[in-house]
Amino acid sequence: MYTERTRGLIWPRTPLHADAGSHSEGFTLELPGGKFLISFDIDGTLELGDPPGRITTEMVQRARDLGFLIGSCSDRSATSQRAIWERMNIEADFIALKHMLDDVKTRFDVHRYLHIGDRDLDQMFAEQAGFDFLWEHEAYTEPWLDWLEGNGAVPASEQ
Amino acid sequence: MPQTPMPPMSMFRTAVHPGLWEHKGKVAAVGVGHEGTARRWDGTAENCIGAWSIAACRKAIADAGVNPADVDGIVLDTSTTTGAHWPAGREIPMDVVQKFNQTDDPLDGIAQLSGEWMVKNMPELTNVKYIMTGPGCMSACIVVAAQAIGDGLAHTCLVLKSWHNLDGRYYQGGANAEPTISGNAKWTNPWAGPASLGTATQFQRYMYKYGKSHDMMAPFMQNSRHNGLMFPEGYWAQHRPEELPAEDYINARWVAKPANLFDNDIPIMASAAYLFTTAERARDMKQKPVYILNHARDNLVARGFGGFPTLEECEEACANVGVRLHEGAGIKPDDLSFENMYDGFSLFHVFHLEGLRTHGIGLGDALDAFQGDISISSPFPISPSGGNIGSGRTRFWKHTDCIQQIQGRAGARQISVPANIGVSGGPMPTGGNFTVWGSSPD
Repeated sequence: MYTERTRGLIWPRTPLHADAGSHSEGFTLELPGGKFLISFDIDGTLELGDPPGRITTEMVQRARDLGFLIGSCSDRSATSQRAIWERMNIEADFIALKHMLDDVKTRFDVHRYLHIGDRDLDQMFAEQAGFDFLWEHEAYTEPWLDWLEGNGAVPASEQ
Repeated sequence: MPQTPMPPMSMFRTAVHPGLWEHKGKVAAVGVGHEGTARRWDGTAENCIGAWSIAACRKAIADAGVNPADVDGIVLDTSTTTGAHWPAGREIPMDVVQKFNQTDDPLDGIAQLSGEWMVKNMPELTNVKYIMTGPGCMSACIVVAAQAIGDGLAHTCLVLKSWHNLDGRYYQGGANAEPTISGNAKWTNPWAGPASLGTATQFQRYMYKYGKSHDMMAPFMQNSRHNGLMFPEGYWAQHRPEELPAEDYINARWVAKPANLFDNDIPIMASAAYLFTTAERARDMKQKPVYILNHARDNLVARGFGGFPTLEECEEACANVGVRLHEGAGIKPDDLSFENMYDGFSLFHVFHLEGLRTHGIGLGDALDAFQGDISISSPFPISPSGGNIGSGRTRFWKHTDCIQQIQGRAGARQISVPANIGVSGGPMPTGGNFTVWGSSPD
C-alpha cells in the first residue's frame, strides 16, 4: 500500500546484481579515497535528457567502471528513468525520484554523496538530503575523478 | 502586435437556459491539420510557430479539399503561450523574422501570431474578409468561428491555435518576472503558488467533501496517457512513448499538493487548424461533415479569494454549462457518445465531467467512475483523445478527437460505440467555452 513514507523511492527494492563483480546495495568496494555515490539528474544534465546536458554516457560509464555507485534522481517517472538507463546500456545502482534523495542516502553507506543537476530544485533537494551538489556545467569536467587520488574522502572525524 | 479584432460578447452563449442554438446543424467542421509537436523551439525558421501555423492551415485546407481562394475567414488566438513569454532584452533572431513577410512586431510568428501575419504569409488566401480573435484557446476559436459562419460573417473559415515553447522554465517570465504585481494577480502571486494552486485547492476540498483520494485519479491518468500514445501528432507518442503506470503517477512529486507533476500538463509547441464551413458547402467537401450542434460559455464570476473559484463555484459553473450544452443542442445528457472535456490540469476534469450529468455521473461520482472501464472500448469513453495529459499542453487534442471520432478517422483511438455526439471544451471550469459535435445536423 502506498504511503507518504514510501512515496518516490523506486528501485531497487532488492540488490540489483548477484555476481560479486557488480555493484549492489551494501556494495563495499573501497576506492583509494573512500566510497562514493553519484546521482545524476536527467533532463538538462545527461546527454540523453531533454534538453540534452553535457554529461555524456561515456562519463557515466567511466564512473561506474571506476567503482562509483551511480544512479539517477529525476522528476521523470521510474518507467522513464529505466528507459534512459537502457538506452545508455548501463546498469544503475539506484533510481529514485528527485525529492527522495534522502532515501538514497539511507540505503547506501558511503563516504561521499554527490548529486548533479541543472535546476535550483536539484540543488535544494541535494542540500536537504546532505548531498554535495554540482551544477551540470561544473560537472562535465568529471571532478569526481580527483577523488580517486584521495582528494574526495570525508575526513574520518566527520564520518 | 497588429490588432486582430476581439469578438463581441454577444457571440458567446451564456444564458442559463439559452434555448436551442439558432444555427444548430448549420455549421460543420470538415478539415483537420496538425503541424509539429516539439518540447521547445529549436530556433530555426522552419520550426517557428508561424511556419507551423501556415503548415497546419494548409493541411486543413487540403484535408477538406477546398480551394484556398474559397477561404473567407480566419479565427485564431493571437497569444501562443501562457507561460513561455519572450524574455525582456533577449535578442530577436532577425534571420528568422526576415524569412517571412513581417508585420510591425518582429515577434509575430515567433512568440505570438496575428491575423495580419497569417494572411501576409499565406498568399493563396486571396479572399479573407473575416479575421477575428478566439481569445485564450482553441475552445474560444471554435465558438467564434461557428457563430460567425452561422451569422453569415464567413462561409469557409480556418480555425487556428498554435503554441510556442522556449527554452527555460515555464511561467518564470512575463508578469511573474516583474518586481511588482498589479491587478487581480496581486492577491495570488505573492503566495508564489504554481499555476495549479487554485485547482489543487478545489480538489483538496473535493476529496474532503466526497471522501475521495488523489490515488483514485490514477486510472484516469493511465487511460489518458494510453489514449495519447495513440495520437500520432502528440508529444508523448512522438518523443517519449511511455505509458504511465499508476505507481509512477502516485509517486510523483507534489507541485501543489494534491496536484503532482503529472497533474500539470507538459508545455510543448504545436499547431492545429480546422476548416469550418456551412453545412451546405460541407456536403461537397472531401471529408465527412461534423456538425456543430451547440456551443456554450460559462460566465460565473468567482467570489473566492484572489479570483480562485471555490469548489462549489466550479461545480455550479460546470453544472450550468452542462445544462446549456444539452438544452442548446436539443439533446439529453445520456445522448453523449463520449466526452473530451479539458484536463490540463487533470484534476478539474472531474468537475467538467460531473457537470455534464451524463451516464450516471453526478456530483462526487467521477472518481468512482474512473475505477471502472473508461477506455475507448467502454460504453462511455472518457477523454478518448487523451487530452493534454496524453499529448501535451495545447488544449486542442480534445477538439481534434471529437472531429475525428465522428468522422471515423480516429485510427487506433476510434471508440467502440458509434461516435454520434461528442462534447469538448475548456479550459477552466469557470470561464470556458464548450462545443457539442454531432454526426447528424438534427
